[in-house]
This record gives sequence, structure tokens and C-alpha cells, in this order.
Amino acid sequence: MIGSLGNLFLRTAVVLTGTALATFALLWHAPGDPALAIADARYASIPPAEVVDLIRAEAGLDAGFWPAFQAWVGPLIGGDFGQSSVTGRDVWPELVTAMSYTGPLALAGLSVGLLISVPLALLATQHPGGWLDRCAVALASIGAAIPAYWLGLLLILLFAVQLGWLPAMGARTPAHIILPALTLGLGVAASLTRILRSGILEARDQHFLPAFQRRGVANRDIERDHVVPHAAIPVVTVFGLELAFLLEGVVMVEVIFARPGLGSFLVNAIEARDFPKVQAVVVLTAVLFVTVNLLIDLIYHALDPRIGERDA
Amino acid sequence: MLTVDHVSVRRGTIATLQDISLSLGPNRTLAVVGESGAGKSTLIGAILGLVPCNLGHITWDNAPVHRCRPALVMQEPRSAFNPRMSLRRSVMEPLVARGILADPARLDTLCHGLEIAPDLLDRRPTEVSIGQAQRMGILRALIAKPPLVLFDEPLSALDAVTQKHTARLIAQMQHEEGFASLIVTHDLGYAAAFADDIAVLRAGRIAEITPSQAFVQTPQTAYGRTLRDAAFALGALERVA
Amino acid sequence: MTITATGLGAIRSGRTILHPTNVDIRPGERVGLVGASGSGKSTLGHALIDRLRAQGRRVAHVPQSPDEALDPLRSMAFHWREAEHALNLSADPTRRQDLFAALQIEGSDLNKRPWGWSRGMQQRFVIAMALIGTPDLLVMDEPTSALDPVVAAGMMDLLDTSLSDRKTALLLITHDLGLAARRVNRLMVMEDGRIVEDAPTERFLLAPVTQAAKSLCAHRNWLELPC
Repeated sequence: MIGSLGNLFLRTAVVLTGTALATFALLWHAPGDPALAIADARYASIPPAEVVDLIRAEAGLDAGFWPAFQAWVGPLIGGDFGQSSVTGRDVWPELVTAMSYTGPLALAGLSVGLLISVPLALLATQHPGGWLDRCAVALASIGAAIPAYWLGLLLILLFAVQLGWLPAMGARTPAHIILPALTLGLGVAASLTRILRSGILEARDQHFLPAFQRRGVANRDIERDHVVPHAAIPVVTVFGLELAFLLEGVVMVEVIFARPGLGSFLVNAIEARDFPKVQAVVVLTAVLFVTVNLLIDLIYHALDPRIGERDA
Repeated sequence: MLTVDHVSVRRGTIATLQDISLSLGPNRTLAVVGESGAGKSTLIGAILGLVPCNLGHITWDNAPVHRCRPALVMQEPRSAFNPRMSLRRSVMEPLVARGILADPARLDTLCHGLEIAPDLLDRRPTEVSIGQAQRMGILRALIAKPPLVLFDEPLSALDAVTQKHTARLIAQMQHEEGFASLIVTHDLGYAAAFADDIAVLRAGRIAEITPSQAFVQTPQTAYGRTLRDAAFALGALERVA
Repeated sequence: MTITATGLGAIRSGRTILHPTNVDIRPGERVGLVGASGSGKSTLGHALIDRLRAQGRRVAHVPQSPDEALDPLRSMAFHWREAEHALNLSADPTRRQDLFAALQIEGSDLNKRPWGWSRGMQQRFVIAMALIGTPDLLVMDEPTSALDPVVAAGMMDLLDTSLSDRKTALLLITHDLGLAARRVNRLMVMEDGRIVEDAPTERFLLAPVTQAAKSLCAHRNWLELPC
């Protein structure tokens, strides 16, 4: 157990280092002069060449790739995200502000997804192949095929423009979260429904279940004690992927609905070549991703203890 | 003549076969018995060259075994065939693989010897009974006249009557064709009735190799006795008065 | 009280795989149900279990392999509790100890899941579980085929003693007349969905009547095969 924990941490460290290095290299080698882009963002005009050189020196861009990378990573290990190369202000407080918008939206989207998919999958699997089941499968397929930006625009057209029930742009009131959360949640619901449905059907088809019926165990107990735990395994497995989908979706949805948050934070930072800000977002998502996958690994071991012990 | 000379196989740090030596000549039958995990399947893999030996050599007439192109008959007859192909195509595969032209007379002889109605060859594996499918498996193994045939639990998917019928057909084919046969089985009854010698494998080692009639009377080792008594208890062998 | 079921039958995809069949088994009797594969033995076993359960008789089933009887995600203790609960019995440590002693599985770790036990121990656990409610009939379907012979022989011996202590009748379903002849005192032969012969073991072996029974008898012993 201790060995495998150490293994996990080592893996985490490798993933984080790799991510940091890859993003830095991508930004570094992106076409165009980063110093010029920073100057443009700072002064909103093309400054004289001396100013650009000054910015280059100030941002450490003249030192070469590795020194610049070290200059950024060094403080990061101590938890210091550095300062924006455009405004010179600390990145961390701005990042926290952005997350205070994105976090609730992601959670709301996930909740909408779960609230729709769990009951739908349970209803659909009552009678596999029945009309309800076929409807659920069709809905899920359509839902998975619709891109978030299109669905978002449709929802805006219907609820904000035609009916005028809900606000579409910005994040001033709590009601502003409803449409973005729906856009995000419907996509999540579509993929979760399919996974849950096939998970439940497969779990009901296990070859040992008839023996439990012949032993006199009530169907209700069989569902609860022998079907649900088996169905949970594939669902938990794909939850990590679902999170990637959620992060990707949340950025897009924020842009569509002109919400402040990590999406606009990231888009603005990339346009301005604000290295420290971009890096901060990437490292944060990487940490989040690794943490969630670590948790999933642990849950997975708890659900199915065969993993790991079989080899021993 | 098959010669297995002081062969050891390791997987990781675990020895799956240790210091195995045996030999098997044409027209002879050796049954390898033992519990699951004793290394029976590893032995077959090692003879076929699928599992590398860490120590020792396995040869057929002083050449590497694969040169004599040994054949294998597997336990699950249906899953041993491609379900989408006709059995005729499947059983011809060993010839096609070697670029040998199929000899219709050879196929007729084998079909006759294995009691396979020729029209069954045009069916698919799921359209024949398990017993018929296993006879097809034997037909495929024998079509290219191999000097050595390995049988991995060839009867355990069949019912008691079909088992004995198939065992007799195998023995008749061996009498006609003269191949050496190595049979891995957990059924001591089958081993005692159809093999010349019985090799008892336990935890990767050969506990004893005894002529089969002598084994039924008096196994040489305590473990051999345990196996024989279990066969008595399960009715696989009748106690000789 | 004799176990009686009449008119058992089964049709699958329009084909009759079990013709109307009557079964009578006396208390504590050991009956073997033998026949070729596909003759309808297992179908009859399942139909009999379902009918007896509907009659309110206590009947237990031991499938061919412990894989078909145990949930790999649940501990042995969970299976035991669940089996007691299914029979509306309260947990009784003495009963458990008795059964575990009878099948020689005492001292095993019940908190482990099935795959933490050897297959032979799993199979014995399944038998012990089947005996919890002291059933009138225990139906076993090819109980030895998933086990190594040494393990299977030990299991059958333990089963013998456990059953004789309990007046539980046994229906042993197997393709292997050699096995059945050693373990039961009455044999029923199935062929094409019908019971074609039903006789005490000794008479059956000496004078089989039908073609199916003759074939089974002739192929009973490996060392004395007909030419």
C-alpha cells in the first residue's frame, strides 16, 4: 500500500512537471514576438523599440528558454504564481476571483447532469428495449452530438430572446447561472446516461445473479447489493474523463454567455501572451485533474478490491 | 522422438516448471496429470516454443521442436475455430499456411477415421455439436501428418459417453498414423485407459513417471496415490479387486 | 414427506426441451439425474426448484461453479448473512459453526471476498450456505466439473456426511454415470427432454433397459470399454 502510494505521488509529480514544461514550451515557441504582444496589451498601441526591449528584459524573455522556465517554476514550487506581465499585479488573487465564478458553474452543470441522467438511466433500464429505454438512448445520442456552443445559442434564443424568462449574458444575479448550467449539464447528462444505462444492464446480466434468486434473495435486495455496486464501477471509471469534458465545456460556455471566470481569464491571458496567467490556469487545472483522478483511483479500489490484490 | 531435457521455466521470480525431463517416441502416448497450476499448460507452451525455457532444451530428433511442426488440440472445441469460417476452411488451414496442396483423399481418410460426415465440413463451428467440433479439431491437427500431437484437456468439454468415443477415435488414428501424443488431462481414468505412461506434475516438478497400468495398481509417490484415490472416489477409476 | 412435482415442462424458442415430467423423491434419498449434454438435465433441475419453491418446500441449489453462486465484490460474511435473511432466519452462530465444521471450512476468513478463498473452499461454502435452512432437497448441477479431482473428491465425501446428518435429499445432476453410481442409490436417465429410465442404482447398472441407459452403462468405466 505504501509502495503504491509512493508510486502515485511519483506519477503525479511527473504529470505536473510535464504539463508545466509543455505549456511553457508551447507559449515560448508560439508565432509572434511575446514582448510585442505584452506591450500591445499594456499600452493598447505599438510602443517604440526601446520599450519593447525593456519589457523583454523585465519578463525575462531575453535570457533564453531554460533560465526563463526556471525563473517561473522556482517560485511556483513555493506556491507563488508570480505577477502578470501585463498589469504587474499578483496572479493569485485574480485567479481566485475567476474561480469563484467558474467553480459554482461547474458544480451546477455537474448537478444538472446527475439530476437528469441518474433518474433517466434508472427509468430506462426498468424495461430494456421498451419505448422509454429507446427514447432515453436516442436523447442521449442527440445530446452527445450537439456541440455546447450551438446548444447555448439555442437556449439563449428560446429562454432569453423569445420568452424573456432568463438573463443570458454576464453573472450579475443568481438567475444568470441557470442557462449556462443547463448548457453544460445537458451535455454531461447525455454521456452519463449512456454510461449508467450500459453499466446497469451489464450488471444485471451477471451470471451469478440467478443463483441469488434461487437462494430466495428478494429482487430489491439483489438490485441494491449486487447490481448497483457492479454498475458503479464503469461509471466511476469514466468520471475522470467526464471531468475533462466538464472543464473543456465550462470554458466554452463562459465565453458564449460572456460570464467572467476561468474561460475569459484564459482567453485574455493567451491573447496578451501573459505567460504567468496562462501558466497559472494550466497548472491549476492539471492539479485539479490529477487530484480527481487520484480520488477516483482510491474509490475504485474501495469498490472493486480485486484490483491490485489479484496480482499479489 | 521428443526429448525434454532438464527444462526449467520461470515467470518473474516464480518457477513454473523445474527440471523437467521426459521423452516420447512415435506411436507412444504420455499422459501428464496434476492439479491446476501444476504447470501442465506451461509444459505444452514450452514444447510448442510459445514459452521460452530458462534452462534446458526441448528437441524432436535432435532438432528444435518447431521444425517437426507439432499440432495442438485444444480444450474448447468451438472457440478453437473462427466462427465466421466454414469448418472446411478451418481444418485446411495448416496446409494453406505451409503452401501444401490439399489432398482430397487424405481428407476423406481422416473424415472416415474420425467418423465425420463429409457434409458437416460445410457448416460453421456453432452449427455442429461439441463432440463433432472436437473431432474437427483433431482432424485439423492431423491433416498435415504431424509426427507429434499435443492434446490440452481434449475431452473435458464433452459428456462421459462422447469422451470415451472420442478417446477411442484418437487412439485408432494414432495406430494408423503413428504420431507421438502428449495428453494433458486431469482425468486419471482417461490417462490409465489410453496412455502408455503417466507423468504426475506437481508444483512445476515431475513427481513420477510410471507405466499407466502400474500407476493404477501402485503409484510410486504419496501424491500419486492421492490422485488415484480421488479418481476412485469420483468413479473415474474402478478399484481393481 | 415425499417431494412430489408433476407435469414439469419447459419450452424454449418454440422447441420443447422438457416434456411433461413427474418427479418423486423420498426424504433423505440420493438420486442421480444422468444423461448426455443437451438432454435437458439442468432444465429439469431448474424447473423442479422453481416448482418446489412455489409449493413452499425448502429446496436449495448448488450451481456447477462457485463463480455462478458468489458475488466477487461481496465478502463471504455478507453472503452468509444474506442467505440467512432470505430464509427469514436470524443470525445463529451455532448453526454456522456446525455447518462450517461439517464442511471443514471453520477458521477461514469470512471478511475476505470469494476470490480470497480457494475454489474448493468456495464450493464448500456454497454447499454450507445451501444447507442453512435444512432443506428437504439439495440440487447439485455437475458439482465436480469445475474442481480439481482431489478437491472434488474431498468435497463429495464431506457432502455425504453432511447430508446423512440432516435428512436432506440429494438430486445429483451429472453426465458422468461413474460419479453418480458412486454417490446415489437411485438413477434417472434423461434423453431428449424425457426421463426414460428410473431405477435403483444396483439394478440399473446390472440391467439397463433403454438404449440411452445401456450406452451410459457401457461407457461408465474407462478401463472396461466395449469394443
